[in-house]
Amino acid sequence: MNGSPLRRIGTGWLLVLPFLALVVALFLGPIVNILWLSVTDPEPGLGNYAALVTSDNLVGILWTTIRICVITTAFSVIFGYSIAYAMVHVAQGSRNQMLSLLLVSFWISVLVRTFSWLMLLGRKGLVNETLVNIGIIAEPIEFMRNELGVLIGMVHYMIPYAVLPLLAVMQNIDGRVLSASRSLGATGQQTFWRVYLPLTRPGLVAASLLVFILSLGFYVTPAILGGGKVLMVAEYISVQILVTLRWGTAAMLAALMLFGVLALLFLMSRFMKLSTIFGGAKA
Amino acid sequence: MIDGAVSGGLRLKALTKRFGSFTAAESVNLDIRRGEFLTLLGPSGSGKTTLLMMIAGFLDITEGDILLDGMSIAGMPPEKRNFGMVFQGYALFPHMSVRQNIAYPLDVRKRPKAEIEARVDEMLDLVQLQDFGHRLPGQLSGGQQQRVALARALCFAPPVLLLDEPLGALDKKLRVEVQDQLKDIHRRVGTTFIYVTHDQEEALSMSDRIVIMQKGRIEQVGTPEELYQKPRTRFAASFLGKSNFLTKDGALYALRPEKIDIAPKGAGQGPNRVSGTVRAMTYFGSVLKYDVTVPGMDEIEVDADAWRGGAPLAAGAEVDLSWSDAAAVRLERD
Amino acid sequence: MHDKQFMRETVAEGAKAFKEGRMDRRSFLVLCGMAGIATQSVIAGDAEAAANEIVMWNWGGQSEECHGAAIGDPFTAETGMPLKFDTSGPLQGKIKEMVDSGNVTADVCDADLFDAVALGPSGHLEPIDYDIVSKDRTLPQYALEHGVSIILYGYAFVYDTEAYGDNPPKSWADFFDTAKFPGKRSLYKWANGALEGALLADGVSKDALYPLDMDRALAKIKSIKDDSLYWGSGSEAHSMVVNGEVSMGMVWQNRGRNIENDTDGRYKLVMNEALAMPGAYIVPKGNPAGREAVMKFIATAQGVPSQLTLLDCLGMTPSNPEAFAQIPEDQQPYAITSAMNIDNIVYNDPTWWGENGGDAVNAFLDAIS
Ligand SMILES: Nc1ncnc2c1ncn2[C@@H]1O[C@H](COP(=O)(O)OP(=O)(O)OP(=O)(O)O)[C@@H](O)[C@H]1O
Ligand SMILES: [Mg+2]
Repeated sequence: MNGSPLRRIGTGWLLVLPFLALVVALFLGPIVNILWLSVTDPEPGLGNYAALVTSDNLVGILWTTIRICVITTAFSVIFGYSIAYAMVHVAQGSRNQMLSLLLVSFWISVLVRTFSWLMLLGRKGLVNETLVNIGIIAEPIEFMRNELGVLIGMVHYMIPYAVLPLLAVMQNIDGRVLSASRSLGATGQQTFWRVYLPLTRPGLVAASLLVFILSLGFYVTPAILGGGKVLMVAEYISVQILVTLRWGTAAMLAALMLFGVLALLFLMSRFMKLSTIFGGAKA
Repeated sequence: MIDGAVSGGLRLKALTKRFGSFTAAESVNLDIRRGEFLTLLGPSGSGKTTLLMMIAGFLDITEGDILLDGMSIAGMPPEKRNFGMVFQGYALFPHMSVRQNIAYPLDVRKRPKAEIEARVDEMLDLVQLQDFGHRLPGQLSGGQQQRVALARALCFAPPVLLLDEPLGALDKKLRVEVQDQLKDIHRRVGTTFIYVTHDQEEALSMSDRIVIMQKGRIEQVGTPEELYQKPRTRFAASFLGKSNFLTKDGALYALRPEKIDIAPKGAGQGPNRVSGTVRAMTYFGSVLKYDVTVPGMDEIEVDADAWRGGAPLAAGAEVDLSWSDAAAVRLERD
Repeated sequence: MHDKQFMRETVAEGAKAFKEGRMDRRSFLVLCGMAGIATQSVIAGDAEAAANEIVMWNWGGQSEECHGAAIGDPFTAETGMPLKFDTSGPLQGKIKEMVDSGNVTADVCDADLFDAVALGPSGHLEPIDYDIVSKDRTLPQYALEHGVSIILYGYAFVYDTEAYGDNPPKSWADFFDTAKFPGKRSLYKWANGALEGALLADGVSKDALYPLDMDRALAKIKSIKDDSLYWGSGSEAHSMVVNGEVSMGMVWQNRGRNIENDTDGRYKLVMNEALAMPGAYIVPKGNPAGREAVMKFIATAQGVPSQLTLLDCLGMTPSNPEAFAQIPEDQQPYAITSAMNIDNIVYNDPTWWGENGGDAVNAFLDAIS
């Protein structure tokens, strides 16, 4: 009797073992390959990694990437938070509508969105033309083809990814806890900062990490909306593989991104454990 | 007394709440006295929580008014009313320690640190959780959580404390224990307690007065004894305790099972007497419960002290049932 | 990337409009959107090359139609071998990967001549068999060991006639002179053409361009960096101009006609000092159809009828001098080797680019970002 659940787990593992092996082979194989390449191409050694210290070029690209990703994450999560908050607090019908709109945006090709931004905010775009025509500004505002353009495009793309984890967390918040705060004398604002925000922290962390990690791999939007002057790691890696044939450099950067992301995920898992302790108090 | 509660008298005037066409509370009139322990008792859906939430300020009033010490508070937001509230399920802040939870109402009122610390210690003493101040709510038992919720709600010395089935999640034994503590705390703080339950024993044992509610209306208000001894309606009589109902001269009477004497046929005495047959006998230790069929009447339930009288009467026995005139209470309406 | 983008963009959207000489902005945008989806779905269908067919690795879009009509049809008629396509785009990295992996599925790549220089010496390409392919049917400097130029395209620029009125820009020197010709510029993001333009603007003579003086070129590029945008694809270059984002834009010369039409003549193409780029056919090492078959295919592509069909269908200028004289009147202003332009153009050196392209691109990226 006692051993039977254990035995069941045992057979379960045996059953999934072949698939597990396949997954490991399919995922780990390429990763090992990348790591290997990063220390062997063009010649064995840590030369590719040394370039991180010696090449201003690489440091500049990494810095641009991190800066843009952090700003994108901040804005996406702030907007995403507001949207999720609104969705939780409107009537069910409108919530479903909002959710559909949100999900539909996943279907629109990133290229279409990017060009739509150009039509809207470009030098001769709708907004600039209108502002110039009614005489508010003399020269068009440079929204696009610079870092601002990249940020606008990326934030727009990332907002749905920020909304979903936040929505999940917000929907699970016990309304009575908020009422309790009010009944104890806290204003709506105090309740938000002291109770609501801390309770949504797991969602904030999840949304931030998700957006940040996705942003790291972003490529089309920065390439186009940045006017060519905003070069991020993902695009650089692709150039090194496809055009300049510096596979070692590309592999090194890929490995760097991989470990960066893994480190972030490790942090996230630490945080999530904490949150389950918090969550345990709900009952 | 820990605080001199200087106010806390509430008056509900024709208080009505409608959700669309559904009326959850209908023209409720009630005076709640300063410092009393008032219980709202009624079946599920009778409007107890609705009433409490209107008092707390979480539900808008459809019609009527609420006065606190003579002043209307109808439009006041919940945080301005200064009422403590203990929610069903406690609604503790899961991310704050016990101390932080209790300190919260003082924190948001921006009171000095030292005062807060002292007051939190005092409250931890009151609910006997001195050693648990640094735990998170998730690390406490249900009874302990309940006491934290109570301490938190009392910490800022509210004139009125609203409790919505605060013991509902506890098991029977713990519930009785916490009931005692709660009563004790009520005596010591002197705050007006408005307590919601659908457990009649709890209501009887704790309250100064009980409000029996049904379908959004007040059925009857009174002390536990008044309500038990002088129920005015069939619903009040049957909801608080058990009752048999008799019709005599076109009027309806309530007759408590323990006020009926049961004797073998021919041995019955007293002004009111009927004969019948025992259909079933159930043994409850201190009490014997008989279900007796009487021709021409509903089945009558009788509770007899087990230690008094002779051997229990078996099913099928022919019996006489009798009671005094005072035992049967004439009801005002069905 | 480089100038592969040129072909991708041209075939993806330009061919029909080029022929008709007209494409409005709306349909242009629609095309851009579809390209995002279409390229992926096309990539999915990997062509399987076998000994009895030729698989051409090119850039999708109209290429099946144009390459099929220009080369496939006459080749099949002659040899009985059908022509099939892999439209996923033969970037250098992909060719290298294909050959390294030992799973070669393409016979001929629609590539750049500098790819032949970059990949040939490392053993990734079959040498061209000049017993079958004719050295005379291409420009003499563009018949290399591992690749032969079939068509030419080029880097030229367009300018806003309303901005510059009576005194329009005429050379790269004007293009880089933002004091005399104020306004925004757009250049190619992957260094090609931009470096040559910069050096010509800085006073380097046509004949002394190569080896490129990188420091000098980048200094010139940086001198107008604040006024510059950089495009990575032909559609982007096109939209930067058509949407009025720049006053002068470096473009692939065959887009000049589209741009002039789309802007109702407001923007005008300048072919003076256009940089001629040799588009070449190269053969991955160990191609499935065998070397002889694919060389015959390349030889077919050199034929004058094929050359003229490619010009008509895709706007790519013939490399075969026999065809130069037959370039139709209406194509002359836009064709690299037309009588009108041939004396004013500058020739790209694929050897320099093949050997130094990687470093040049990285240095360029560093300079502009
Ligand atoms: N927001 C609402 N919308 C519509 N009807 C409601 C709403 N809230 C409560 N009701 C209805 O009002 C009636 C009274 O509800 P209330 O919650 O006050 O009952 P209760 O006496 O507290 O019951 P319980 O003992 O089950 O908690 C119920 O029939 C309920 O369905
Ligand atoms: Mg309730």
